[in-house]
Amino acid sequence: MSASAPWGRREFLGAGALLALCVGVPAATVHWIKLDPEDLPSDRQRALMAEVADLVIPRTDTPGARDVGTGDFVLLALAHGLSGTRAPMASGAVTPALAPLTRRDGSLRHALWLERTLDQASNGDFLRRSPTERVAILGAIDAAAMARGAAWSPWVAVKGLILTGYYTSQTGGSRELRYELVPGRFDPDLPLSPTDRAWSSDWTAVEFG
Amino acid sequence: MAQENAQFDVIVVGSGITGGLAAKELTEAGLKVLMIERGRNIEHQKDYTTEMKAPWELPFRGVGDAELYAREYPVQMLNRHFNEFTQGHFVNDAENPYQTGEDTKFDWFRSYQLGGRSLTWGRQCYRWSDYDFDANRRDGQGTDWPIRYADLAPWYDKVEEFIGVSGAAEGLAQLPDGRFQPPMALNVVEQALRERVLAKYPDRLITIGRTANLTQAKGDEGRGPCQNRNICARGCSYGAYFSTQSSTLPAAMKTGRLTVETDAIVEQVDLDPVTKRVTGVRWVNRNTGARARATARMVFLNAGAFNSVQLLLNSRSEAAPNGLANSSGVLGTHIMDHANAIAALAMVPGFEGRTTYGNRPTGIVMPRFRNLDSLDGEGFTRGYSFQGGALQGTWSRGKRQPGIGAAFKDDLRHPGMWTMVLVTFAESVPRATNRLKLSNKTDKHGIPQLEVTFAHGKEELAALADAKREAGAMMSAAGAQVIMGMDQPNNGGTSIHEMGGARMGHNPATSVLNKWSQAHDVPNLFVTDGAQMSSSACQNPSLTYMALTARAAAHAVELLKQGAL
Repeated sequence: MSASAPWGRREFLGAGALLALCVGVPAATVHWIKLDPEDLPSDRQRALMAEVADLVIPRTDTPGARDVGTGDFVLLALAHGLSGTRAPMASGAVTPALAPLTRRDGSLRHALWLERTLDQASNGDFLRRSPTERVAILGAIDAAAMARGAAWSPWVAVKGLILTGYYTSQTGGSRELRYELVPGRFDPDLPLSPTDRAWSSDWTAVEFG
Repeated sequence: MAQENAQFDVIVVGSGITGGLAAKELTEAGLKVLMIERGRNIEHQKDYTTEMKAPWELPFRGVGDAELYAREYPVQMLNRHFNEFTQGHFVNDAENPYQTGEDTKFDWFRSYQLGGRSLTWGRQCYRWSDYDFDANRRDGQGTDWPIRYADLAPWYDKVEEFIGVSGAAEGLAQLPDGRFQPPMALNVVEQALRERVLAKYPDRLITIGRTANLTQAKGDEGRGPCQNRNICARGCSYGAYFSTQSSTLPAAMKTGRLTVETDAIVEQVDLDPVTKRVTGVRWVNRNTGARARATARMVFLNAGAFNSVQLLLNSRSEAAPNGLANSSGVLGTHIMDHANAIAALAMVPGFEGRTTYGNRPTGIVMPRFRNLDSLDGEGFTRGYSFQGGALQGTWSRGKRQPGIGAAFKDDLRHPGMWTMVLVTFAESVPRATNRLKLSNKTDKHGIPQLEVTFAHGKEELAALADAKREAGAMMSAAGAQVIMGMDQPNNGGTSIHEMGGARMGHNPATSVLNKWSQAHDVPNLFVTDGAQMSSSACQNPSLTYMALTARAAAHAVELLKQGAL
């Protein structure tokens, strides 16, 4: 799909539709839940997530996250609670700033959190800031969240899902990295050159690496 | 003879690792066998529907739908091998409930389908030694095994040669060598750590995992060598790992004497109160709810340790009021599962210029070194061993790394650092308080659910603590930098080595089965899955279940020929 595919809120009744949009699977063939209408991403949240994903993994000599529709995958993943994102937050993590962004079940609306956080850091509309400023704003959020000993931040899960979305796409998995479903042999010791690419099909490394 | 007009010579309940083997051994001996499986049929190759798919071909990219999992697979989703590719090979927890006793957290991983957990197992195959078979006698916990290694050695030979186990002979008394296919290779980092650890600790050996993945084709059986994909639990069309589908089922079918009934949940084994012989089994069709029964001259229970016990408990009758084969009253007690924890996670510097190709479907093992000829464990008398391996990071490390943008992307383009993981598997001591019983709650067919009461004890905790210390010390001595280690066990069940409940022993007053896996109370009833275990050792147990199954089957055939059943 293209990241600019039309997204009319009225046309999409639930995650099944979101899923269909994301991966091109007919909605009827997938197991879907009805979303709380508040969890249906707005057009702006779609644009924002596409942009944020692309800031994390931009187009270089290979396509970037926007090119492969990573933003919509992240929204789908958040709607379905991947990476624990539908679990109730630990009581200590619910700050006054986060409290209004939680669902009735105590889980955080990550997409809404991201939108609010970026706009707040932008003193306005994040998407209207210059590309350089966007990098700086997101970079600061990332540095704070990923620092050693940092307090819990919703960004860690969102970033993880961006990476999952990109590197499990066909482009991310098999053009940016290497993918071989049937290696056919095991070579236990080979030289590694600085230009060699990692394997997206090394399942143990994906799980534990 | 109890059953002159029986429909079958033998009914085998369960089609997993031991059920399939029982069916093979018994049909090849000339017997007419009905194998009953509670789950759906899965046809080799044809039904491995996700085997060749890439992540981008699945709706949730192989990670799976967390919302669905939380609702319907809350236990199975904790299994390492459970994901969007393999979810069809695990039970739906919501549809297959069980209960836990007070203070028990027990994760029961199950696969209800033709082939059972042979499709999803970890494939590690280790012989037990006399340190293991003598363990209960030596420290007085549990009941003495009525067999020793010599009783089982020829059966290990037979099973290994048939299923195909690759491994390296190391000449260790505590982990006897087997009839191995050529070993898979240690990778460059594991090889270096093997040498470095051995230089400092001559009694501690890192060797390649002994695994039921072929390194040489068994062409006459239609099985090809491992392709080094490491996606076994999806099902393997090459037939490269041992499963019922790849191995025992075709062998049994070839005899023309096997009948398979799927979707059939056996709820009772019938006992003739006069002859004290079992006469057959009753089942309910899981789809239609229809009840049916079949008769046979003998019955083999291979439903998986806990479900075989459930079936015996549920087969209570006037003649057997506490459950079938339970005159001793110990049925359901002394269940075990290895205590496991990540003993060490360590970065291994110095190999930045080295890499591997292919996905080896096994890790390493460091066999037990504690409490062998001298009792050198502090606070524990049994053993533990390590499994794990060295791996080189890929893109997923970025989830923990700061950074965004082109430089970040470029960094993730290349393999990451090497890390070594050592996971402890500590022997689980048999205790009467760890037990199964029938719950008052029933499933949707009205069959009583199992209730599991289980806790690791002080011995297991002491073993895990020792293992963490030793793993950290070994890795440091070998030049690795230890990042973390754990000495608290994961939930019971997470080793997926649940066993016991119908233990073998000399004395009918204190055990359920005799040395032939045959019920003391009921001569034509055999239990040859994990339920029969009297102790747990610290090795993966499936190979031993299989050896015991082959041995029991041969004995049963002999008894039948003699007219003794």
